[in-house]
Amino acid sequence: MTKMTTLKSFATALSFATLMTVGGATFAYAEDITLTMAVPDWPPTRIMKKMFDEQYKAKSGNNVKLEVDFIPWPDFYTRVNASLTSGEQKYNFAVSDSQWLGAFVEGGYFRKVNDLIDADPELKAVMDGMHPAPLNAYSTYPNSTPNYYGFPQFPDVLVNFGRSDILCNDEEQKNFMAKFSKKLPCTGEELDAMTWEDFENVGKFFQRKKGDMLAGKPADDDFYGIAFQAGKGYDFSSMQINGFIWQGGGNVWDETKQPKGQAEGVVNSPEAIKGLERYLNLLQYMPPVAKTGTMDIFKSDELFREGKVAMNIDWIGLGEASLDPKTSKVSDKLVFGQAPGTMGADGKMVRWSNIGGQPFVLTTWTTDAQIKEAVGFVKWWLSPEIQHQFAAGGGQSAIKAVYEDPKYTTYRPWNRAWAASLDWQKDVWHVPQFFDLLTQQQDQFDLAITGKQDAKTTLDNVAKYQQNLLSEAGLIAK
Amino acid sequence: MSMTAERVPTPALMDIRPDNWKLAIIAGLVVSVIGCTALPVAAAFWVVGAMFAMVAASFVVNAYRRHYYGGLLISPAIAVLFVMNIFPLLWSLGLSFYAYQSSQQSMRFVGLANYRKLLTDDLKAPELWANLTNTAMFTVLTVSLQMIIGFLLAVMFAKQFPLRRYLLILVLTPMMLSVVAVGVFFSYYYDPTFGLISQVVKAWTGEQFILFSNKTGAVAGIVFADAWMWSPFVMLLVLAGLVSVPKYLYEAASIDRVGPWRKFWTITFPYIRGLLMLALLFRTIEAFKMADLIILLTKGGNDTMTISYHVIRIANEQNKTSEGAALSYLLLFVVIVLTNLYLYIANRRSSQGN
Repeated sequence: MTKMTTLKSFATALSFATLMTVGGATFAYAEDITLTMAVPDWPPTRIMKKMFDEQYKAKSGNNVKLEVDFIPWPDFYTRVNASLTSGEQKYNFAVSDSQWLGAFVEGGYFRKVNDLIDADPELKAVMDGMHPAPLNAYSTYPNSTPNYYGFPQFPDVLVNFGRSDILCNDEEQKNFMAKFSKKLPCTGEELDAMTWEDFENVGKFFQRKKGDMLAGKPADDDFYGIAFQAGKGYDFSSMQINGFIWQGGGNVWDETKQPKGQAEGVVNSPEAIKGLERYLNLLQYMPPVAKTGTMDIFKSDELFREGKVAMNIDWIGLGEASLDPKTSKVSDKLVFGQAPGTMGADGKMVRWSNIGGQPFVLTTWTTDAQIKEAVGFVKWWLSPEIQHQFAAGGGQSAIKAVYEDPKYTTYRPWNRAWAASLDWQKDVWHVPQFFDLLTQQQDQFDLAITGKQDAKTTLDNVAKYQQNLLSEAGLIAK
Repeated sequence: MSMTAERVPTPALMDIRPDNWKLAIIAGLVVSVIGCTALPVAAAFWVVGAMFAMVAASFVVNAYRRHYYGGLLISPAIAVLFVMNIFPLLWSLGLSFYAYQSSQQSMRFVGLANYRKLLTDDLKAPELWANLTNTAMFTVLTVSLQMIIGFLLAVMFAKQFPLRRYLLILVLTPMMLSVVAVGVFFSYYYDPTFGLISQVVKAWTGEQFILFSNKTGAVAGIVFADAWMWSPFVMLLVLAGLVSVPKYLYEAASIDRVGPWRKFWTITFPYIRGLLMLALLFRTIEAFKMADLIILLTKGGNDTMTISYHVIRIANEQNKTSEGAALSYLLLFVVIVLTNLYLYIANRRSSQGN
């Protein structure tokens, strides 16, 4: 190589480099930004991912990719917990069950988002437009204080799934009237008006053996009136039992009354024991699997979709499968209502129920560039247009302007129960010890469900354990 | 490998050379102790790690210079063992003396408090004891069932009969399945509404059959599933022993008109005894760690909680890391005692046999 050619090639390289630099200065590069998210594997998150891939364009002009790990529900907590606490810093975003906030905020994994909300008037307006029940449950820690950590991904409540072909059958209607002097609830409005006593009657009424007449035909298998969650895993009995306890005037340990609020005397108060007894009493009318401690939310849903029960109380999040003829034998015979309530002394229905659903939460190691895109994504997600689309695709919205729109109730048959249910939602504890509290309580409830101990012993044991644990942690002062 | 090289003299203690491993150990210890006291935990971790690497490197250099090639050849295996097994073991032993939760950032030295709590606390000690007795029960039941079924299957497959090869593959299949698949399969098998067992019983009694409605049923269900999965393993080992028995021994015995029972005890059994013991040891250790099937089938309901599942819960789900570590060490102690007891008995047996 001569000197000249060396010089020439050097000059070419230099001019090319200059061009690159100038180009870089004038045109901002579209950066590739990836947001990694851990989510439970079910329709509400699948729909979100699909909508994102099809529609999302970041306003910043960057190429934002959403990488989603779909994790099966029963393992969801364990997997996310392992990922966060191991320090692998894999996820920027996690769909977190509302109760986890305390544990992961205290551990330093979940990022406080007050600064993001304050810096962004649009986002602030969105947060202000949310129903307070889900907002408090999904976003605040300590609970119900203005310290925000999450944005609703999918809000959820328990509703009553009913079989219209059975419930509205003339013969069944007539027989039910003859037996209980009340109308067998058949329409959505009639389901809404049900108390737990009515629910029990439905359970007593439909105890059909194979071959017995059911809605004018011989039943092809044993058929039962009612079902709800009574499983030992995760929170698959607490979420139903809490409703019974609250409706009867009892309470769980109240984290907002720290450190004065006690567990002993509250958790095992006579009202709470009465509530648990009412819950346990209903199990005898359910499919026998209810007494094994394995009838979780998925099992009761499966029983319903297989056409083995007339009514099932379950999360809306599981509802899509019952509408789909491929997964449901009852897809064209459905009616939905609010979960049953308790008639108060003043003649008004008390409907306290445990809120479901999840927020998404940002993790503390997410970079500024990612946070910018994450906020953009959250705003897109919570925008009325997308929330309407989400609801139309089978999701739910906690934003008042969206769910109060008359269109909203037309998206899915259970949406008619949505707005009314929201006002009656409460949540369990969000303290760091929640999983400890939950597993012990689930173990104890399981003993009661499988008939090994009575309601009083159960709640006494729960109360004693909670008092001990929470006192040790400094959350209860003597 | 030539042995002609001169023997390199051992360096003096304070001689700074790469092969002076004694000095490396002392320096490593001093730096580690200073690092642990002065630096934050995250930095100290790496300092200690670097010191370990230094000591290991000096061992290697030493071995190389002195032609300890045998040692050098196994050093990668030892390094892997150290990183994957010994270090985590020591680390968790250290953790068990602290109050530490993996979800919290604080750490406090508490000495033996975790052990004391596990063994004497009026809520935790009975739970631990109940889980230990459950584990013992499962171990005895599953292992004895597997040994019996596995042995009988092996005796059957040691003979030639039509379709033997295909049947053998079929029988071996459960062992190759994932535990999760087996668990899900059996949870449907036992299901009162959809399950096969319930349907069969219903044809007789008219009532759905709930296997998991009491402890006996739940234990039977789990033991059966485990035996279904692992009996083939016992069979495989025993079968290997059975086919290795030389035919001429049987022929000689037949000439002497020895009965089948005596043939078994004097010819067959000595050949398979070692393998039976091996199968027993493997299956006992595995059964002691049983958690997966229980998580899948009962979630510990109906008093079927085992000690392993208990550890998973405490350490992984409730994030009580140090308490879990302490419990693991109690468990390790039990396993070591049991294994030694077993080896003692096995050795005595074999020396008697000889």
